[in-house]
Amino acid sequence: MKRVITGRAWVFGDNINTDLMYPHICYTLPEGERPKYTMWANRPGWPEIVSRGDILVAGKNFGLGSSRPAASNLLGVGISAVIAESLNGLFLRNAVNVGLPAVSSQVIRSMVTEGDLIEIDLTEGNFRNLSTGGSVAFRSLPEFLMDVIDAGGIIEILKRSGCLDTEAL
Amino acid sequence: MVANLLNMIEKILLAHSDSDTKTVSPGDIVNVSVDRVMLLDIAGLHPELINNPPKEAFDRSKLAIIFDHFAPAPNIEMAIGTSKIRKLAHKLGVNDFYDYGRAGISHAFAAERGWLLPGRIIANTDSHSIAAGAYNMLSRGLGTPELLQVICTGRTWFIVGETVNIELNGSMQSPTESKDVFLKLAGEIGDLPNENIEFSGEGIGQMTMDQRSVVSTMCAELSVEFAIFPYDKVLKSYLKNRAESYFRPVRPDEHTEYSRYYSFDMRDIPPMVALPDSVSRNTKPVSELGNIPVDQCVIGSCANGRIEDLESAARILKGRKVHRDTRLIVTPATPEIYRNAERLGYIGEIIDAGGMVTNPTCGSCMGGHMGILADGETAITSTTRNFRGRMGSREAKIYMASSATVAASAIKGYVADPSEFLGGAFS
Ligand code: SF4
Repeated sequence: MKRVITGRAWVFGDNINTDLMYPHICYTLPEGERPKYTMWANRPGWPEIVSRGDILVAGKNFGLGSSRPAASNLLGVGISAVIAESLNGLFLRNAVNVGLPAVSSQVIRSMVTEGDLIEIDLTEGNFRNLSTGGSVAFRSLPEFLMDVIDAGGIIEILKRSGCLDTEAL
Repeated sequence: MVANLLNMIEKILLAHSDSDTKTVSPGDIVNVSVDRVMLLDIAGLHPELINNPPKEAFDRSKLAIIFDHFAPAPNIEMAIGTSKIRKLAHKLGVNDFYDYGRAGISHAFAAERGWLLPGRIIANTDSHSIAAGAYNMLSRGLGTPELLQVICTGRTWFIVGETVNIELNGSMQSPTESKDVFLKLAGEIGDLPNENIEFSGEGIGQMTMDQRSVVSTMCAELSVEFAIFPYDKVLKSYLKNRAESYFRPVRPDEHTEYSRYYSFDMRDIPPMVALPDSVSRNTKPVSELGNIPVDQCVIGSCANGRIEDLESAARILKGRKVHRDTRLIVTPATPEIYRNAERLGYIGEIIDAGGMVTNPTCGSCMGGHMGILADGETAITSTTRNFRGRMGSREAKIYMASSATVAASAIKGYVADPSEFLGGAFS
């Protein structure tokens, strides 16, 4: 996993919940089809216009809601990182555990307009808006969570430690 | 040096921590052991688990597998998913395996079984696991990939958050229910991501375990990490003859300081409603709402599919009829609740009024099955979430209220104040 992530910004508002990121219909679709319904209720058509590597910028309380695998849908759409004004704790866990970096900075939305080219340095805890030249520090994730992200998610770590069967149920 | 004063949440985290530190403070990360693990049917739809199942459980006597979200399977995908989880239960040698008909919704069932005990930490994937806080213990949603780790190792981690104190005073006046108390505080306090809540106040002593559980369950909607109630006589007597083992209640240290303080007098709280799409900072008294016709009325969920909800619904519905322009779906949370409601005559009264009583399951609460909304429809529900698209169509609107308000609305055909049927302090 790259520790410095650069991408184009998509900007969302406050309280974007996991029902929006992973609508219930996703549960019964084949795995590859699920990301197509990301933000289906609040921003239909969005998954088709995201490019691989884009970054999601959001307001307060991003990821409120169910423990459904919302972060997997974001990864599936092509999102490479999330930076929000604040993050729901369960979303943070689910994001890290599937290898999606998610960090927070209270001022982030005032610094980004949709479409800006932005950069997140996960090691230094530094955000830069390459389009406007602005920058701001944020609190880096604890090292043990960065290790999970670097490994590509918790399943990879568990596989390596030999706790999981390689044969599917 | 003065010893660090600890609140209830910090004490439980410290008691389960693998480090030999003597204290914890906000910002710390603690690695903890867990006392029990619950895996749900919905995990059968997670490829991570199906493709890489755990070889063995850290302690199979501490693992329970419960089918609740889609019970019984409403479609072939779920049928295949659950058949795989059955296989896993067998492979891991899990005794506490509860197939359709044997458990109900995990949070309510775990309490009935005496698994929710003061001082404990329980791991569960579901976001409303915070419900366990009513029992003076800790739980929160973890996500399926993480639960795999817990099943293998018996351990997980938490970041210690700041804790706010919410004092509940006075006692609720009929027809106010604990859902209304929660909606009132959600409206005023708003979201508290990464923070914790500890409840205090003399009003708690008047609240039954069902009423406390509604509040703790709903705290998931405030985006908090943990919410916890104190240990007292009511909890003690609930656990008598029920607790699966001995337990150690926690109390906050005297003079512990909280990051903020809130106080509510429950006597002043009228029937409340959350408007569509979000809960926090989006609630108002039912009496201020105006005329909102409803197509569907739902009573149920881990929060409000309890015996007190069915009792309250039956009291309002008895001898009356569900309005012809709406429909009422009632989903008891567990078979035990269903059975008791039947014995007490509530089920018959709901059916006689024209309501439909389903088997215990999450059902329409998560838009899974048994009551999906169509485009343009409006619902009122006593379940846990009113997010856009939650119960079916993204073009549907969901109002959220107490079971009494939902029952009153079912009779009127629009969102109605239960005071109209029950009288009381706010009529
Ligand atoms: S009843 Fe609703 S909120 Fe409760 S566990 Fe089921 S889906 Fe989640």
